[in-house]
Amino acid sequence: MDYFGQLLANGLVLGAIYALAAVAFTLVYGVVRLVNFAFGELFMIGAFLTTSLMLDEVSLFGTPVPMPGLSFPLAALLAIVLTAGLGVVVDRIAYRPLRKAPRLAPLITSIAVSVVLQSLAQTIWGAEELRFPEFSLAAYPPVVLFGSIYLSVMDLVVMAAALLAMIGLTLFVSRSSLGRAMRASAEDQTAALLVGIPVDRVVGAAFAIGSGFAALAGLLYAQTYGFAHATMGFLPGLKALTAAVLGGIGSTPGAALGGVVLGLVEALGSGYLPNGSAWKDAISFVLLVGLLYVRPQGLLGRPELNSAGRGSLLGGAVEMQGWLRGLFGRFDHALEKSAGHGGKVALAALAAALVIGALVPSDYWLRILTTVVIYGMLASGLNVIVGFAGLLDLGFVAFWAVGSYLTSILFVLVLKDGFGIAPQEMWWLFYLNLPLGGLLAAGFAVLLGTPTLRLRGDYLAIMTLGFGEIVRVVAINWVGLTNGPMGIRGIPLPEIFGIPLASPRVLFFFAVALAGVVLFLVARLVRSYVGRAWVAIREDEEAAEAMGVPTARYKLYAYATSGFVGGFVGVFYAHYQQYISPLNFSLFENIILLMLIVLGGLGTFIGPFIGAVIWIVFLQLAIDIPFVQAHPETRFALLGVILIALMLFRPQGLAASARVDLTMRGARAKEGASDEPLGRRAQA
Amino acid sequence: MITRTASAARAVAVGGPILAAEGLRVRFGGLEAIGGLDLAVARGAIHGLIGPNGAGKTTVLNALTGFVRPSAGRLTFDGVETAGKGVAEIASLGLARTFQNIRLFGAMTVLESVLVGAHRRFHAGPLALVFGARKAREAERAAIAEAAELLDFVGLGPEVAARVATTLSYGHQRRVEIARALMSRPKLLLLDEPLAGMNAVEKVEIADLVRQVRERGISVLLIEHDMAVMRALCDRLTVLEYGKRLADGDPEAVLADPAVQAAYLGRAR
Repeated sequence: MDYFGQLLANGLVLGAIYALAAVAFTLVYGVVRLVNFAFGELFMIGAFLTTSLMLDEVSLFGTPVPMPGLSFPLAALLAIVLTAGLGVVVDRIAYRPLRKAPRLAPLITSIAVSVVLQSLAQTIWGAEELRFPEFSLAAYPPVVLFGSIYLSVMDLVVMAAALLAMIGLTLFVSRSSLGRAMRASAEDQTAALLVGIPVDRVVGAAFAIGSGFAALAGLLYAQTYGFAHATMGFLPGLKALTAAVLGGIGSTPGAALGGVVLGLVEALGSGYLPNGSAWKDAISFVLLVGLLYVRPQGLLGRPELNSAGRGSLLGGAVEMQGWLRGLFGRFDHALEKSAGHGGKVALAALAAALVIGALVPSDYWLRILTTVVIYGMLASGLNVIVGFAGLLDLGFVAFWAVGSYLTSILFVLVLKDGFGIAPQEMWWLFYLNLPLGGLLAAGFAVLLGTPTLRLRGDYLAIMTLGFGEIVRVVAINWVGLTNGPMGIRGIPLPEIFGIPLASPRVLFFFAVALAGVVLFLVARLVRSYVGRAWVAIREDEEAAEAMGVPTARYKLYAYATSGFVGGFVGVFYAHYQQYISPLNFSLFENIILLMLIVLGGLGTFIGPFIGAVIWIVFLQLAIDIPFVQAHPETRFALLGVILIALMLFRPQGLAASARVDLTMRGARAKEGASDEPLGRRAQA
Repeated sequence: MITRTASAARAVAVGGPILAAEGLRVRFGGLEAIGGLDLAVARGAIHGLIGPNGAGKTTVLNALTGFVRPSAGRLTFDGVETAGKGVAEIASLGLARTFQNIRLFGAMTVLESVLVGAHRRFHAGPLALVFGARKAREAERAAIAEAAELLDFVGLGPEVAARVATTLSYGHQRRVEIARALMSRPKLLLLDEPLAGMNAVEKVEIADLVRQVRERGISVLLIEHDMAVMRALCDRLTVLEYGKRLADGDPEAVLADPAVQAAYLGRAR
């Protein structure tokens, strides 16, 4: 009973924090239908600001800066106001221009904003934890309930603050005129605008309040756990989003309920389940996935929020201005001309890759180019599901992990450690594993894809993200299968007849050959009725269905194809790196891959490779700049900024004009030469 | 006298119904949008569905095609019970439709959009596609030839085939949508206000096109507001008001019915 009571108390404290952050997600979603992933980062910034303002001196950009050393309440208040302001600025710059854009655009933008804020925070405050300072309130002796349940005074403050903030918000939304305007805008923005509600200002207010709530949650979290860190917002942000979805996104009481439920489940789960604390993140995500499957609208939500978003990123961009248009004009023209000659372009690209591979003198750069090809292949796999079928999948890394782990476990844990067979004796197994890893991952993808079929847009992204995280937590904790966080070492290089392909040049050529295989597979499927069905689903799912396309089945085909590529490349990746660990397959990697495709061009064959070249080469070149050398994470911030700019001005990506022909090669009669019509012309 | 209560059975006599609804009800929450509708479309007929705005015409179409689930009633298409079946499944029985607001696939060319209509006729497996099997290529080639023929049939020249469909003029987009629907080789074509937003010349052309569709042996169910066109085009008219059938029968007689005129123009007090 005592143990249970203590877990209950801990769960309520955690739940109160989740609930506060969940309000941020829910409030903004209610008004603008946007899942703002960046709230996790605003949470973290709230924590950093409070901590910094309470200290006498903080190291910023590596140099000590004097700080006012405010009291906790004053610092907290100031941090909340500052974060709220930051939230408004983010909305003004990154989201407002995208209000009318397809829903994928603001979603991807919010992921980019998240990357920017996290990287900037790391640049400013450094990669180490910032300790939360001691203060008088926190030093009071704990309150003891029922003789055995310990609650610190700050725990009580956390719960009281959460309760007061929730009640205040509820009153504000139901009573004040701004609250009324918010509810009106949530129902119908156009109508609200027509009756004279300044919708932009109302949305700004929602962002301000939401960001303030996120900051409050963040600073209470930092106080409770005693530190602030640049990546601290990531998991709580996902948990808060989970809580919001759990309660029914868009509903404030739902967010409160979801937060408390999640906090309790986590606390009790980690207390009672065997090895529970290691699995507690998985518990939350299993809860999320299960709920989305059974009742996507959440406990208190409305079902229509899971409605079909029509149109893709490929339409409806803001018209580009002046020099930008000129800059892209020539590039577009060249790509457009190339569109009709897929085969020739592919041969030219292959030839270019071979020439580059033969001429580049340094092993160092050959390794970098190999990484480019690997990332290009992975991004091509993700592109099938995101770019062609239009399903935002944030769990793609799991497929990659399946391939990598399959071959690593077979070669190292089973053959070498289990049977004492040297990899040289079984070198051919690698070539068998390539398709095998692909097929296993494809099966896995269908398994994960099936429950997501009923979900669309934001919910789909959230559910796949949940799956990705579950797979990662399993990979970390199922030590017997995966070696856990230590990873698997000593994976042999690919070999031919027992001769290892040790030279970076040979490995590069090998990777290029695999890329050829991947692109060939993907292109053949896309340039057929299958690809047409995918694009039709992306552009208008209902119209596709009305034309007789069984959309659910074709979504699964897209998952399977995507999974196959992920697993196939994963096998090579493991042998190329010779070491894998769960860290290789984080959500961040998935986000980077997504950014590469968006950068290069969703739904094109060349886009993923253009994105990969730009990104990987930039990573290497930028490291020579002294400031970047000191703060390597600024490169990620820059990628995020570029991506936001791209979403605003050119959401189709750089290679947008390299549109893919969706008819089978050679099936079309010579251009223009159509057979003499059989039917009479309707124009009479 | 008007066949205001004409039974579905009478339509059967003309050629046997290709599509029949009996006691169709559709409910949205507390609102009953369709309240017990009987409708029979004769095989080979051009059947018009008219009624004032909000009468529930599009809802009927959505129920017939599976987009909304009827709360009660029997729906049969070509002898098959369709109530409760999925949209794609009903479509594959030979029921094709266009949408009130044109819904083409953005970013797809005209040819590709039309080819989507032939989706059910492709059967090549992944290996056949990857290795470019002859059968798969032949199916593709045949479909492309058929699409070209249909584009010509709806009055679009071969030069538009490679254009992105959504960049065409409104009237041409309408024709692409019809071609896409015809590409599925339907037995019945449902057209939801195909003349909306068209000028006088285009209206005549589209009406002509509808007749030619029927000449190909395809039955047509048509929603439209232009009474002159409907009078000239339809073999039979059903009038809908407040989700119920107000009249049904020969166009001349139906349009002369004072109750129908009152529904459109308002009742004299």
